[in-house]
Amino acid sequence: MINKAELKNRAIPYRMLSDVISNTSEIAVRILPEDTMPSFRIGAELINNVLSRNMEKISEGLPIVGYHFSLPAEFLNCFDCVPICMEGVSYYLAALLHNGVEKYYDMMNSWGHPFHTCTSQKGAMGMTLDNLFDFDAIVCPTAPCDSTCGSYQFFSSFKNKIPLTIIDMPFIHGEDSYRYYANQIKNGLINLGKVIGQEPDFEKLKSYIEMENEVQKLRLEIFELIKAVPSPIENMYNPISAGTQIFIAGSSENLIFYKNYLEITKKRYKKKEHYGGEEKIRSIWPYMVTFFDVSLCEWLDRELDMSILFDIFNYNFSDPINTKSDLDEMFLGMAKKSMGIPMVRQSTDFYDVFIDDCVRMAKEFSADCFIYTNSIACKQFGSIPKILREALRDEVGIPMLIIDFDAGDGRMTSLNTFKERISMFVQTLL
Amino acid sequence: MRHFKLSLQNDPFLEIAKSINNPYIEKSDKKVIGYYCTYLPEELFHAANLFPFRIRATGNDETELADIYMVRFTCSYVRATLDLALKGGYDFLDGLAICNSCDHTRRMFELFDYKVFNREGYKKEVPRFYAALPHVITDESYEWYKNEMIELKGELEKAYNITIKNEDLINSINIFNKNRRLLREIHELRIQKFPKISGTEALQISIANSSVPKEIANQELERILNILKGSESIKNNAKRIMLVGSIVDNLDFPRLIEDSGATIVSDFLCFGTRNFIDDIELRPGGDPLDDISRRLYFRISCPRMMDDHKRRLEFLKDEIIRAKIDGVLLQRINNCDLHGCDNMLFEHELKELDIPIINIDRENSMEDKTRLQTRIEAFLEMINK
Repeated sequence: MINKAELKNRAIPYRMLSDVISNTSEIAVRILPEDTMPSFRIGAELINNVLSRNMEKISEGLPIVGYHFSLPAEFLNCFDCVPICMEGVSYYLAALLHNGVEKYYDMMNSWGHPFHTCTSQKGAMGMTLDNLFDFDAIVCPTAPCDSTCGSYQFFSSFKNKIPLTIIDMPFIHGEDSYRYYANQIKNGLINLGKVIGQEPDFEKLKSYIEMENEVQKLRLEIFELIKAVPSPIENMYNPISAGTQIFIAGSSENLIFYKNYLEITKKRYKKKEHYGGEEKIRSIWPYMVTFFDVSLCEWLDRELDMSILFDIFNYNFSDPINTKSDLDEMFLGMAKKSMGIPMVRQSTDFYDVFIDDCVRMAKEFSADCFIYTNSIACKQFGSIPKILREALRDEVGIPMLIIDFDAGDGRMTSLNTFKERISMFVQTLL
Repeated sequence: MRHFKLSLQNDPFLEIAKSINNPYIEKSDKKVIGYYCTYLPEELFHAANLFPFRIRATGNDETELADIYMVRFTCSYVRATLDLALKGGYDFLDGLAICNSCDHTRRMFELFDYKVFNREGYKKEVPRFYAALPHVITDESYEWYKNEMIELKGELEKAYNITIKNEDLINSINIFNKNRRLLREIHELRIQKFPKISGTEALQISIANSSVPKEIANQELERILNILKGSESIKNNAKRIMLVGSIVDNLDFPRLIEDSGATIVSDFLCFGTRNFIDDIELRPGGDPLDDISRRLYFRISCPRMMDDHKRRLEFLKDEIIRAKIDGVLLQRINNCDLHGCDNMLFEHELKELDIPIINIDRENSMEDKTRLQTRIEAFLEMINK
């Protein structure tokens, strides 16, 4: 007889995440005024729905597949499995647990994982080392960074021996690259299916992809509305939207989230309303927000009247994936989408694309400044800020603040340091 | 503490490893193409009548200029290389070929585009070539790699207005195979019970070998081999160390290890064994560019290849036994994620061999020499021999 409780223990951090989202959501609903952080209220509830449903599937014994965030989650809906985003679990637990996931970072550092690698993986690695995860398989593209390529080998090596399916992504963009990567995705999914004992159902996958095509349209509508002054989104939308893409893409809940949030955005747009009062400064964060404490987003809205128009998870939307033609065409669209995820795109292409994107968006979105959070782990992005700053100064006439940080660990650059530095920067703008 | 009779001390060929410029660059009637890294086909450059020069940072401990563009989380070796280029250290290049070896180097070469070749007063037109390497070793990905090499060949022909014929490629393959054979022969003298060459000297030879025309290098290697064969073996009690990890082109580092009471009898480094352990298999009637590509792609990999850790581990284990290694020194330049993660796994996996292991981080400039010396000496002391 299946012992559901035991099976549930195969993904303890995922259960922790489900619990902490549920609790935080409840606190937010019960304590905060009704009009605060709607993106969080809607998003947390919907994410929790999906996580709870997945916990049920885990307790029924469905295979658990860990995946890297650069593989859109809905692609794994060709299986009956529970997909768990390694980076998502690390960073959303970092955001929501009182002490983050520092314990697991430290555990991995002690085990020999270099201090300069990405905490988004380090967290999940530490949890695996601590036997909190029991993955049936892991699937990972070879992008966007060395930290990914280096760290994921941990799961398949040494004591873990978790079957690792690697999908090779070319570090150059163009039709040849997309076709190659399309094939890699297809073969990767077939291979993953062999590992978990299932045939990928690509017909079933189509419906999920179509749903995400709808989501993309809604996201694009919201994105267009952000061009308005004042911006009709609240800053918290950025980490929550990243979360929905990571945790609930391919579910009806994701569609509901963006439908509901688009309505809120439209209402604000029509009334020229801005969340948190007056919008004094419009900022673009070409990299990430502080996942170790996302309350910074709300603080910027309330205390500094600074909008975060978008971060690296919330711009650049690929074309809808064609599901009406043949499978090859669908995989080509999947490849383009996967390689078009901003962090992936900017890492696997040359500087020019990133700088051109930033300059163009700075103009289109009437940005007053950029805030470049420079991660210790992202070596791809560590050589860009100075050149980007020059380009923004020369071509747009706006300044950029650079802050070194670890996106998932506040011990490197604390929330207070962020607040102080941004406050001082803002004084130079007003 | 010096353990070797200094048969190669001040040898002009080994001296080449101590700086970037060398007399052969000035004398060369061929265009010089800088390349990075070993996944690019030297044989192809040679067949294109170019002089392939391996990009490095030797002799430059500073990173001040590079630090303007690259943050402190970037590898100090890469920053030193860029710094050198920004100072004009690579102005002799007539071409530059790069690939996505690692995040640091790929971005560094983009900065070459933006800031080195575009700097004020620099007028030379330097053709640039980029090859996108796969991160896995599979037949399907080999096809991608091979196509990249075919494209690179076409781009070289166009840029330098030449035609690269199969005969040229075969000729280059023969020259380079001979070069690898000579390096292997030298390596055999290094791993024997009483070595005839130190690890520092072997590294110097390997670096110099990548900095001069291969015809010259082959003559020099033959000369050195003759010297070594005629020289006495060194009979001492130095600990036999295998050096593994990030690129080493600063000779102070291996010298520090050897001066602490060790001999680096083997290695797993960019400039080391990985480069010469195997030859190109020329298949009769086959496509020589395919033969070149096959060797580069399928040979023992560096940690950038994400699915090949197991083979790297096996290589280490075999070499530890073959070279009768007493201890393994794993090292990485700070911020090198690839070697850092590979070393992390090696450190645990090699324990089954019951061999002493140390895993250290360092900076390219050796500014932390005293710290390193303390750790290395302590490590060597704990090795029972």
